[in-house]
Amino acid sequence: MDPTIAALAKAAGLDKALAQFPEDIEAAATQAMGHAGVVKYPTGPAAEPWPPMQAESAL
Amino acid sequence: MTDLHWLSATDIAKAYAARSLSPVELTTALLKRIDYLQPKLHAFIRLDAGAAMEAAKTAEAELASGRSRGPLHGIPVGIKDIIDVSGLPTTGHSKILVDNVAKQDAACVSQLRKAGAIILGKLSTHEFAIGGPSFDLPFPPARNPWNPRHHPGGSSSGSGAGVASGMFPLALGTDTGGSIRNPASVCGIVGLKPTYGLVSRRGVFPLAFTLDHVGPMTRTVADNALLLEALAGHDPKDPGSAATKTNNFSRGLDRGVRGLRVGFIRHFHEVDIPAHPDVTAALEDVERILEAEGALVETIKLPSLTEFAGINRVILCSEAWSIHAPWLRDRPGDYGALARRRLLPGAFMTAGEYIGAQRRRAELIAAVNDKLRDYDVLMCASSMDPASEIEDAVETARTYPRQARVPFNVTGHPALAMMSGLSGNGLPVSVQFAGRYFEDATVLRVAAAYEKVAGWHEKHPPI
Repeated sequence: MDPTIAALAKAAGLDKALAQFPEDIEAAATQAMGHAGVVKYPTGPAAEPWPPMQAESAL
Repeated sequence: MTDLHWLSATDIAKAYAARSLSPVELTTALLKRIDYLQPKLHAFIRLDAGAAMEAAKTAEAELASGRSRGPLHGIPVGIKDIIDVSGLPTTGHSKILVDNVAKQDAACVSQLRKAGAIILGKLSTHEFAIGGPSFDLPFPPARNPWNPRHHPGGSSSGSGAGVASGMFPLALGTDTGGSIRNPASVCGIVGLKPTYGLVSRRGVFPLAFTLDHVGPMTRTVADNALLLEALAGHDPKDPGSAATKTNNFSRGLDRGVRGLRVGFIRHFHEVDIPAHPDVTAALEDVERILEAEGALVETIKLPSLTEFAGINRVILCSEAWSIHAPWLRDRPGDYGALARRRLLPGAFMTAGEYIGAQRRRAELIAAVNDKLRDYDVLMCASSMDPASEIEDAVETARTYPRQARVPFNVTGHPALAMMSGLSGNGLPVSVQFAGRYFEDATVLRVAAAYEKVAGWHEKHPPI
């Protein structure tokens, strides 16, 4: 396994999963990169995320 | 009278009013049907026959004394097992929550009880609404009534299988990446993912907070509207709930489509994910019918399905990880393999990717809203294929992401999937309609117009 993936899994607290299901960990890391890789992230700094932060009505 | 198990809720209500049928008579017939079909279809995780019969007797007494609570009074409903029903376990079809007894009803279940509906029990789902058809869980997966060798779709699998097979006329499902509309598509029924925030999610085990929806699954469009009327409404205890007064979805169902403008998103099934020929042919038929009924159908273009799907997965995995991380750390072996594999990617998403996806999401919402300024309704494929064989894990994995439902989870617009034909091997294929925020009624109106001409709701699985 790529040592970076193992390190990230440990950092996420997934030691047990890493020991018991290493193939799932490896596949998950690959999938995460795949999903994130197809998004055309906005380049304009003012593009806000959805949903926007909104104040509730007064208490 | 037709077989009781094929009666729609609308017809049942009429029969109750005419005193030609009673809630006890109907519930007895449906329990018999369930007893016969459950071993084949596994729609239920837990049937609560005793409570259902008690509720039927109560409804019968109330109706007999002239105290009707409305059109759902005495109508049996099945509940997906990530939705709380007081006193019953909400397992999420998982070993993780197998003893998780709900202390109170979810808001949507409370609404149904208030309307006098009869809660039959808890229905099969993909594990935590994300796993997939799995054989390593405490309960078997549901199967497709059109052919039990095939997958009924998911994650609201039992809801789809149970409604389509005549176990019950109405069910609740949930939809985060298409989980109402997938089983509706491959089981040949009607499934609506309402506008985000229209139906409270309180008491529903979350998968991804900003993508989760609760919605109705039925055999007819009119029933779908009736069930939505009971479910819709503002809930101040659900932070995503919308402060809308929109609650009449049945009125105007029969207005037809003359003069409506329909944007047909062809590239979803022609270019982005080329569909099975039977799906494509059925979509062309839908277009012809809508045009013949007086709608103007024009081809439109949106961002690609690949990007909608990527955004859905980044957001879904990130939000789901925030919910499941403690169990994935301590009890990874208590998940089925499919759910574990689909939840773990969230551990590898970065905060920057999640926020970036949410920022791009706002742009995609704007793109869809732009089209909905010019068109009353959008039309596209739902599933690109008929259902796979449930034990063919490779084919199921191939076909499962071949769908056009995620765009409307990303944007939150209302979207409905319904049967549009039968494939060469006798399995349902489907069409999807989507509309403007809180104009779920227009989506239902178009679906009703199509249903009236196409008549697929009168075709039942040979089981």
